[in-house]
Order: sequence, then C-alpha cells, then structure tokens
Amino acid sequence: MTDNILAPEAIPAYPTGSWLHRYANPGRFLRLAQPALPWLAAFSIILTVIGIVWGYVFAPADWEQGNAARIMYVHVPAAWVSMAGYAALAVCSFFSIVWRHPLADLAAEEIGPVGAGFTFVCLISGALWGKPMWGAYWVWDARLTSVLVLFFLYLGHIALIRAFDNREHGYRAAAILALVGAVNLPIIVFSVQWWNTLHQGNTISFSGGSKIYVTMLYPLLIASVGFYMCFLTLVTARLCSAIMERKTRALLLAAAERGA
Amino acid sequence: MNLTPFIDGSYGITVLFLVGIFGLTYVRYRSAVKRLAAVEKRP
Amino acid sequence: MTPRKKRRLYLLLACGIAVGSATALSLAAFSSTLTFFLGPREVLAKDPSPGMDFRLGGIVQVGSVNTVISNGTPTTNFRVTDGQASIPVTFTGVLPDLFREGQGIVAIGAMTSGGDFSASEVLAKHGSSYMPKDVEENLKNSGKWNPKFGPPPDASTWNDMAVKSSGS
Repeated sequence: MTDNILAPEAIPAYPTGSWLHRYANPGRFLRLAQPALPWLAAFSIILTVIGIVWGYVFAPADWEQGNAARIMYVHVPAAWVSMAGYAALAVCSFFSIVWRHPLADLAAEEIGPVGAGFTFVCLISGALWGKPMWGAYWVWDARLTSVLVLFFLYLGHIALIRAFDNREHGYRAAAILALVGAVNLPIIVFSVQWWNTLHQGNTISFSGGSKIYVTMLYPLLIASVGFYMCFLTLVTARLCSAIMERKTRALLLAAAERGA
Repeated sequence: MNLTPFIDGSYGITVLFLVGIFGLTYVRYRSAVKRLAAVEKRP
Repeated sequence: MTPRKKRRLYLLLACGIAVGSATALSLAAFSSTLTFFLGPREVLAKDPSPGMDFRLGGIVQVGSVNTVISNGTPTTNFRVTDGQASIPVTFTGVLPDLFREGQGIVAIGAMTSGGDFSASEVLAKHGSSYMPKDVEENLKNSGKWNPKFGPPPDASTWNDMAVKSSGS
C-alpha cells in the first residue's frame, strides 16, 4: 500500500460501454457497497459468535472424539471459506484476464490476504485436532498436503500481485497464477475419495444424508454461514478502502499537475 | 490426553485472527474515508 | 464482446483444458505415491522386503488386541484387517486414545522377516460420523450398530433421534 502516490498508473482509467463496465465499475461498487457494510459486519459478527459459542459450550460431545470434536466448529468453516475464497479469486482472475476489469483486479488483491488467513486458521486448528485424535500434528496425506498447497498459492498470489512496479503486470501475472492454481480445488475436495488418507471423509453431503447429529449440525452450519459472511464483509470493506485510496491518489495527482 | 489446550488453542487462534483482521480492516477503512474526504474538500 | 476479448477468452479456456488434463494425468500416474497407506491385501500382493518402511492401514481386528507390559512400557500385538486379509502388528509404546477394536488405524513401520509388521508409530483414523454418546448407546442397546463392526447405519435413522439429554 506504500506505492508512489504520483505513479502514472494511479490514475484509474475506467472504460465504459459494455454491460460489465457499466454495472460493475469501482465507483458504482463503492456507492452500493458502502451503505451495506455496517449490516454485513453486524450479521457476520452475530452469526459467527452464535455458531462458535454454540459449538464451544452447548453442542454435545461426540461419542468417539469427546470434546475434541468441538474443534470442528472452527476448523470446518475455515476450510470451506478458504476454498470458496480461492474460487472467488479464480473468478476475479478470469474477469481480469479476459475483460481487463479494474474491479476484478482490486478484488483479487484484497481476497488474497483474507483467504490466506482463513487457510492458516484451518491448518492450525487441524493440527491441534490431529494431535490428540490421530496422534500427530501433521501427516503428509493427500488432504493435508493439498490444503498446504492452497496456503502457498495464496501466499504466492499475495507476493506476485504486489511484485511489479507496473501494477497491471502484477495483476496479469497473479491472475495466471490464481487460475493455474484453481486445479488444486477439486484435488482438495476429492482427495479423501480418490486416495487413502488419514483425514476422515466428508461428513456433510448434499446428495446423501449428512452423518452428523442435528444439534451438532446447526452450530456447524451457523458458524459456516458466519465465516462466509465474515469473508464477504472483510473483502468488501478492503475493496472499498482500496477504491477510496486510489481515488485519493488520483485527486492528489490531478492537483499536483494543476499546480505544476 | 488432556483435550483442553487443543480445543482452547483452536478457538483462540480463530478468534484472534478474526478480531485482528476485522480491526486492521476497520482502521484501514476509516483512514481511507478520512483521507479521501480531506482531499475532496480541498479547493 | 470485442474480438480481442473473445480471443483471450478462448485462449484461456484452451489453457484451462490443457492444465486440467495435464494435472489429471499426473495425478493418475502418481496415484500410488499419493496414497497415504496400503491395506493388508495390497501389502500381501506387493510383498515388501523386510526392513523397508511403509504405512499399513486398516481396521483393528476384533478380539486380536493383546497388550503385555514389561518394564513399564506396553507392547501391543494386534491384527490389522480390511475384511479379507489381515496382518499381525507389533507396537511398543503408548497407543492413541482412540485406539480400540474395530477402529481404523495407520501404522508406520516395516515387515520383519517373520511376516509381522513392526510399527514404530500408530495413528488413529477416526470416522466421519458425529453423534452424542446417548445416540451411540441408544443404537448399541437396540442392536442397530456396534462400533466394533464398522461405521454406523444410514445417518437418516439417527441424526435427529430423540435422546434424554442432548446437552454437553
């Protein structure tokens, strides 16, 4: 965030004409998103607090894992959000490469750190769950390894998108990395079915019944919706900040040019 | 094995992360709003 | 869409198909290394030479667990089965809390010349079904499920079963 305020590329050039640019330009996004932010924040905090407290205090202990199963209420939502976040990153990258859309570039830049954070939470809580249950913090099975790869893809994206003096070059390079890395998503999801893993299989399934008792399912779902909302709120707020920061730079630059 | 440190550790890192990133994002957002308003106010 | 955007779109889709199929082929080619453990049948078929480390995974056979404590350290003998073949395992040390008959485990070690698997580490592989203790006891008492003999019955029969106390 410390790039030269007077850099020429700080002037946002927002082409208009196509439907995409008319309805998703950064200025319009700012006008629509800013009033929604307090509501988004309130809902995400309330749902997350309800889900986490329900899981930590009120949900029943598991027959097999006892209280250790409570780690599920933070581990699983974090894992889902880390994957959904990467999918969102890939979609932004797709719009960035094909349509050169400025909002998609800014969104990709802001999704990276938030997604990496959730992936980190998923890895740490998973390690803390693995030690007492499996007997090991970490094993190199397909599920754990592919999630670690996801974390490194996020870190690579964060670094690459900020690595160039010309921001456009960073956007293109990072978008390509994000799209290539998207092959990792189906690998994470299906790793527990394709190969023998120490990691358990899927508990929640949309096709068949979920293998979880109802008073354990509710806190899990509420915490998940809460985490998704947190992700949405954080990315929206950071995206609004980024747009305003750019606007500020552009105005300062214009003023400097008038003065010169 | 005593499970408490593992459970509390998981919840602790999660809450710490969420509070931290919400705080950082809030601070950045407020300063972006203020700086833009200050620049827009200039003649 | 302008022709340039269209060209970029098709180029991207072509790259996506290429990257996707390259990944799929590599994963298929390396699938034996991506597998975390071998089942007893695969071990018997491969017949790994004694002393070569690998991971053996399966179910702890019911009635096969036998622990002897000497000098304060327990040595446990048990058999790991996949329902058809089974392999005897020896492990010296403290087993994970979840170790029990009928539990999935992964043992790290090597075959001895006597045809036993000598484990240096035993990891427990737990199931993916979550239910309160009451529900498990209810299923067990009504004869619908014994955790020693495989995963629980179809979840729709128990995942909203009424129990006396469902608090923690």
